[in-house]
Amino acid sequence: MNTQPAPTAPGAPVSAARQHQPGAREDGRERLVVVGNGMAATRLVEQLVAQGYPGHVTVLGDEQVPSYNRILLSAVLEGTHDREAITLRSEDWFAEHGVDLRLGSRVLTVDRDYGDVMLVDGTTIGFDKLVLATGSIPTLPPMRGLVRHDGSLHPRVHAFRSVADCEGLEAAVGAHPKARVVVVGGGLLGLQVARALSLRGLTVEVVEAADHLLSRQVSESGAKVLRRSLERLGTTVYTGARVTRLVEPPSGPVADGDGPVGLQLDNGFVLETDLVVLTSGGRPSTALARGAGLEVRRGIVVDDTLASVTDPRIHAIGDCAQHGGVVHGFVAPAWEQAGILARRLCGEDVRHEGSRVVARLRATGLDVAVLGDPVNAEGEDVEVSNPITGKHSHLVVRDGRIVAASLVGDLSRVGLITQYYDHGTELGMLEPGDLLLPDVVPTPTVLPDEAEVCACAGVTAGAIRACSSLEEVRTTTRATTGCGGCAGACKDLLAERLGASSQPQPVS
Amino acid sequence: MTGTQTRTHCPYCSLQCGMTLQPGRAEGRATLEVLPWEDFPVNEGGLCRKGWTSAGLRGSRERLTSPLVRDRETGALTAVTWEEALDHVADRLRTIQDEHGKDAVAVFGGGGLTNEKAYQLGKFARVALGTSQIDYNGRWCMSSAASAGTRTFGVDRGLPFPLSDVAQAEVVVLVGSNMAETMPPAARYLDRCRENGGKVVVIDPRVTATAERADVVVQPVPGTDLALALGLLHLVIAGGHVDTAYVEARTNGFAAVADSVAAWWPERVERVTGVAAEELRALADLLVSHRKVMVLTARGAEQHATGSDTVLAWIDLALALGLPGREHAGYGCLTGQGNGQGGREHGQKNDQLPGYRMLVDPAARAHVAGVWGVDPDSLPGPGRSAYELLDALGTDDGPKALLVHGSNIVVSAPNATHVEQRLASLDLLVVCDIVMSETAAMADVVLPVTQWAEETGTMTNLEGRVILRRQAVAPPRGVHSDLDVVAGLAERLKAPIAFSTDPEEVFEELGRASAGGKADYAGITYERIEAEKGVFWPCPDATHPGTPRMFTEAFAHPDGRAKMHVVEHRGTAEPIDEAFPLHLTTGRVLAQYQSGAQTRRIRELPDTGAFVEMHPLLARRLGTADGEQVTVSTRRGSVQAPARVVTTIRPDTVFVPFHWLGVNRLTNDALDPASRMPEFKVCAASVEVS
Repeated sequence: MNTQPAPTAPGAPVSAARQHQPGAREDGRERLVVVGNGMAATRLVEQLVAQGYPGHVTVLGDEQVPSYNRILLSAVLEGTHDREAITLRSEDWFAEHGVDLRLGSRVLTVDRDYGDVMLVDGTTIGFDKLVLATGSIPTLPPMRGLVRHDGSLHPRVHAFRSVADCEGLEAAVGAHPKARVVVVGGGLLGLQVARALSLRGLTVEVVEAADHLLSRQVSESGAKVLRRSLERLGTTVYTGARVTRLVEPPSGPVADGDGPVGLQLDNGFVLETDLVVLTSGGRPSTALARGAGLEVRRGIVVDDTLASVTDPRIHAIGDCAQHGGVVHGFVAPAWEQAGILARRLCGEDVRHEGSRVVARLRATGLDVAVLGDPVNAEGEDVEVSNPITGKHSHLVVRDGRIVAASLVGDLSRVGLITQYYDHGTELGMLEPGDLLLPDVVPTPTVLPDEAEVCACAGVTAGAIRACSSLEEVRTTTRATTGCGGCAGACKDLLAERLGASSQPQPVS
Repeated sequence: MTGTQTRTHCPYCSLQCGMTLQPGRAEGRATLEVLPWEDFPVNEGGLCRKGWTSAGLRGSRERLTSPLVRDRETGALTAVTWEEALDHVADRLRTIQDEHGKDAVAVFGGGGLTNEKAYQLGKFARVALGTSQIDYNGRWCMSSAASAGTRTFGVDRGLPFPLSDVAQAEVVVLVGSNMAETMPPAARYLDRCRENGGKVVVIDPRVTATAERADVVVQPVPGTDLALALGLLHLVIAGGHVDTAYVEARTNGFAAVADSVAAWWPERVERVTGVAAEELRALADLLVSHRKVMVLTARGAEQHATGSDTVLAWIDLALALGLPGREHAGYGCLTGQGNGQGGREHGQKNDQLPGYRMLVDPAARAHVAGVWGVDPDSLPGPGRSAYELLDALGTDDGPKALLVHGSNIVVSAPNATHVEQRLASLDLLVVCDIVMSETAAMADVVLPVTQWAEETGTMTNLEGRVILRRQAVAPPRGVHSDLDVVAGLAERLKAPIAFSTDPEEVFEELGRASAGGKADYAGITYERIEAEKGVFWPCPDATHPGTPRMFTEAFAHPDGRAKMHVVEHRGTAEPIDEAFPLHLTTGRVLAQYQSGAQTRRIRELPDTGAFVEMHPLLARRLGTADGEQVTVSTRRGSVQAPARVVTTIRPDTVFVPFHWLGVNRLTNDALDPASRMPEFKVCAASVEVS
């Protein structure tokens, strides 16, 4: 009988005897294990480091690359961001701060009785506290032919969630620089990807199942304005249309690199295309939590302390968490949760009271900002819509406060409106309307004699008019001798005087 | 009948414009006329109305001409002789120190004092008084930039290049500077820059007179300049525009900074700063498409509880672009006060000795003690910073006596009501001033001192150029220099060494004390300053030409590299809320200077009083109109003033100029952890119709 342990295939689960593994320290320090190395997890670790968390932190990321700014993937695709520029924290940074970062470590199970997690390679890591920051996984639309028999996506179909997805799509675009592409999903991510590919020179079509674009964020009238703008930029939009199947060409199933495929819509159309990108949303990644017997509805249910309602040792933050009945899919709430949780883990009694969400479309040529939930928020709707100029602004106002808004095509006031929304500023009765109207441009008037022209020397228009030359202005009034900014105005006044009449102006 | 013309410099801001003074007589009275000095390079004959009217306090009946001592029973001030006044002060100081220890006496200096006075004051505190408790109002000026510059470059000189370089830059970014109003003649260089095809960018919550002559104006929420800088650096890196050769050869710490700004994508910056993502992108594009880019910060960026980190973030950006040391490019701080630069170099700072040496450095102590002729061990260690010093006055372990030189604390300190209470709790307050300022009015002893035209001394302007103010006229009878005050007190306190009252002698000693330090003046003499129209430090010996441009080859850290810093946006110390829903920011107007002690007393300068600048959207919300009285309140106090309704300010922000008593009762005393700068530039406020 061989006394050596049987060789194990990499990645295959083993049922080894449970032992304390590295990370299970006997030095009395709290062992904190973070599952996930995405934006929420990275933020949490940054805040723990900043606040001097005394415990031992282990981060388990299933991707092979250091944490990166996921929301900038479409900018990488578009070419405005270098791939390296979206790295949030390098492996060195984790090492410098004593954080045990393990990339490519997929967690298979959480065992609450043993208080440990097991990786797919069989390693177990004990925890005193566990944070699930597992994010979300792309939803695959119900569409025949999408998934092949071995479980992989059809070679022409790309998801767009991870840096690996982005690189896969990059490679496909590189191979077909003039390709036609159909983006399935007309939400924020779909439009960003559509614009990015369009700017890369591809012919882009967008298919959205709902009856208008950004159906979860903007009203129908806002979406119309957006659609016009998108079509003006050369992208075709199909709304109220579902893709029902991916049709292989008559010549037989395509291999990588040759021939188009067809996308059959439920209205009968077939869109012939070279590439398909799926952006039709994601769902919280909750399998681990479910397996561990934690309460999960849409997301992992947490209370105001961001702890699972089932087990106070286990926390969830970010896209996988459900707090107050809400699952967010945005960075800002995830980071707020990470900040609160870090403070709690460091001993502060702070609570999470929910987040305000501002969603911004990051797509060149399309300006969209969505504050809160303007589709469902209760309040008075203040709207200005002008499809001709491609502008649509919608504020939902309750008790004098902006509780939600969508701005399409005109973001000139987005900074201010966002400030008011974030701070819950109480506005005047007429202010919401005033905010949506352009600034009135004052009509130029003739400067009255008492108007100050030179602030440096305190000289009025009248005093300048009383001079006959710029030299006289300099010597008698000292205008233009300070910062020099009034030289133009003085010349204009002198010209006006010379041109207007031969009568000398009264000297003031 | 006219006297001799004297070439000197303006009494006000850090530009230290050259001017010519012409004494004369008219209608039986002595006059003093201000004339241009066309050849002086910084202002080339230009002056603002403050400079043109600066002689207005000559012969003013408001000038103090006799020492005054207050009777604490009756409150009455009585004129006494100088002998009596100095005897009395020395007596009281000795009694207080005998009872409570050396640190029971504190000294508060000013950034408007000459180098000679600043130097003597530091020596006086440490040698004659033996107190660690000395700091100065420059702490409230550019200290955040000083701290950031020292940490990054290894040395702090406001501008590491002559101001005229601005005209040669392709892009000039002014972060929180309203130079067209605060130092008007400097704005000519902006115009020249634009005439040469350059672009001027102004970052300010208000479209100021400076912003009106800019090509790009960005109006962030007050207190968010740091996030704006992080966002720009993010875009520079994202677009692959980092000067990698420079970063590798001349800096440390870039990789960590680069990772840290990956979290500052434009839409996040927009949410924090209120600056639309498109504006940020356009600004980043402008920066990366030019080589000669200059980033200049001023009080708007610096006077925050996060001021030093804000400056660090802008310097990180400048370093990533490879700017510092490049010709007609780089980073600089636009210092505010007349001698804001020199005032911070020669020992009136709580932790420093002359030559920008650190008080905790044994070698520095040994060198300076050697020049002074005292035992290094007799020098006290670092004391409290300016606001902390004032905050401690009259408390159990705080100072019981305070000597004030060149500062009007009651008007210029943050959270001024509290500071006034602290001053009132002192056993002895001595104020040296030219007029009965609001602070002098609280003093037990008021000592009348000379003003600029009546004394000789050097100043160091915002460029690090050491310049000379020559005495043009005799002081009024009964008025002495601060140097006389210091020497008179030192003698009475039986100081172990003598204190010279001759400015040139003091300057020579200062030169020796600064020799080998970062701000080395050893090679500078009065003659050289006059012959060369100013000498830039460091200038270690008589044959050294001075240093107009720094960092061309190396930075001042031992390894010659600049150090980049990871900084994070933390937000304002007092966020707005339901009760105080507006940002209040403060600043200056053209016709007034600092606490207004001088300019409010000059008849030719309009004294409008404080006003509350607000946007029409806000005015309409409040139900007020231009010119109507409104009350601005913060957690610390209230001020009534007329509304000034302008479209040039952010609608969520109000602005009040601080030259008048009461305005700083509103401001927040939260301090920057590194620079100890108070958060003058933003706090939460409410505004109501009065």
